[in-house]
Amino acid sequence: MRIRNILGNTVLWIFLLVFAFITLIPVVITILGSFKTNAELTTGATFLPGSWHFSNYSEAWEQANFSRYTLNSLIVSLSVVAGTLLVSSMAAYVVDRMDFFGKKLYIGLQSFTMFVAVGAVVLRPQFDLMVKLHLHSSLWGVILILISAHASIFFILFSFMKGIPRELDEAALIDGSSLGRTFWRIILPLLGPGLGVGALFTFRGAWNEYLLPLVFTMTKPELQTLTVGLANLKYGISAASQTHYMMAGACLSILPILVAYLFANKSFMQMTAGSLKG
Amino acid sequence: MNKTKKALFSYSFIFPSAFLTLVLGIYPIAWAFRYMFYDYKGYGTARFTGLDNFTRILKDTQFWDSVVNTFVYAGGKLLITIPLALLLAAILNRGLRGRQLLRGIFFMPTVISTAVMAVVFFTIFNSYNGILNQFLIKFNLSESGIDWLGPKHAMLTVILVAAWGAVGNYMLLFLAGLQNIPEDVYEASSLDGAGRIQQFRYVTLPMLGPVMQMVIMLAIITALKGYESIMVLTEGGPVGKTEVMFLYLYKLFFPVGGGSAAVQVQEFGYGSAVAFVSALIVGMISLFYFYASRRMNQTD
Repeated sequence: MRIRNILGNTVLWIFLLVFAFITLIPVVITILGSFKTNAELTTGATFLPGSWHFSNYSEAWEQANFSRYTLNSLIVSLSVVAGTLLVSSMAAYVVDRMDFFGKKLYIGLQSFTMFVAVGAVVLRPQFDLMVKLHLHSSLWGVILILISAHASIFFILFSFMKGIPRELDEAALIDGSSLGRTFWRIILPLLGPGLGVGALFTFRGAWNEYLLPLVFTMTKPELQTLTVGLANLKYGISAASQTHYMMAGACLSILPILVAYLFANKSFMQMTAGSLKG
Repeated sequence: MNKTKKALFSYSFIFPSAFLTLVLGIYPIAWAFRYMFYDYKGYGTARFTGLDNFTRILKDTQFWDSVVNTFVYAGGKLLITIPLALLLAAILNRGLRGRQLLRGIFFMPTVISTAVMAVVFFTIFNSYNGILNQFLIKFNLSESGIDWLGPKHAMLTVILVAAWGAVGNYMLLFLAGLQNIPEDVYEASSLDGAGRIQQFRYVTLPMLGPVMQMVIMLAIITALKGYESIMVLTEGGPVGKTEVMFLYLYKLFFPVGGGSAAVQVQEFGYGSAVAFVSALIVGMISLFYFYASRRMNQTD
């Protein structure tokens, strides 16, 4: 029995380690590759870089325009996080606490946009709308469209809102606080954990978004975000000869999301673990 | 506080959300569905042609090839992803040292952009100077390397990349479901002399049923609709071997010039019809799965 146990555990651990290796290796290759010379990447099959070229990053930053891409990505992601949290927390507040005509219709609308997605079809009318609003030559069009897709964050905040005792804001109202003031001063601070989860999800989505910025920057390369600029390097004139920039760029784009994930890992795991318990 | 004031406040708070959803979420869908019946290239005038677009779909071999590819892609992805995710979740649910770290590692790919990872995988699987082939040649595992992105293996490569990005996600969902199973069920079964594998077969699997049903449903829909990583990795090529439904659809709206693009001209009217049929196919399959899995549960 004991021997069988040890044998079973060994098999288990070999399986786990092999799978962890497969999961990690592409990321490790990217990180190590970002320090290699281009020649080393395209010809030699070295695992560790022959010599560490930290200059890849500064060169990618300047020559391959990654400073611009990173700035664009940051503008888009942070604006989308702020906008989404504001718009959906306001909606979640009144849907949970108030009764008004059309509430059911609104909830139906949000469920509809969450479940019915027809792919790239909606990009064209969205683009046309932004042309009419003169927002197509900036990143604001992308930001607005990403904020508009806030249904899932609305439902997350809605469920968190239910956990905040009604007595609290009723007491505030009796004390003469206006509804708006109650929302800003009492509800929002108490909604902290929900806003945190929502922020992480929204940031992840906006930072990783590829299609929208791709379509909106087809004629304006200076507006490209990291994901778009990076993928475009693959097809660029000098694509084959600039693999080291691609690797450095990939690391640049992975890093913020990885850091955010590591920080949020614990609470995030607990959140999702509990979410199915209902 | 009077009623009108409350109502006014409610509407002012719901307005930004409702407005954005209507204008940028609902209107575009309506726009697309209207043009299903038109011949519209995206510029000039739209001409009403009734059901012409739909008869054209019936004869469009490129589209039906992409439907077949979608099924191969989704099937392959599910076949790898679901059993692996379930196995990992079952292992990591028990008291194993270092499980938090392992969970973190396995979940990591899901936070990285598929577009970025597809770029990285391109440098790994690239046939001529890809990292994997260099490795295979150096250690004499293959003479001249394998044409990973060639017509023969491209679909397999695309499926492997998709599975790499998805296993962690479903592992986490399964883990959440596993935590609903009370510990004393396991204790009781081990008192009865059930081993780990028997426990998995007779306790874990049946009790995970409802969660599994939901997770597989989610996985089917995502797999049928996924195309971002394929777009970056192969553009649907070579010779349309990895062209999936929603990628073909994307190209009708935004034709790509280079590579082995199947579509070269914008076709909004036709594209809308294709979108409708594609959405219908996805809907029908999920509905079919929903009823089939419910029946299976009832006969149990």
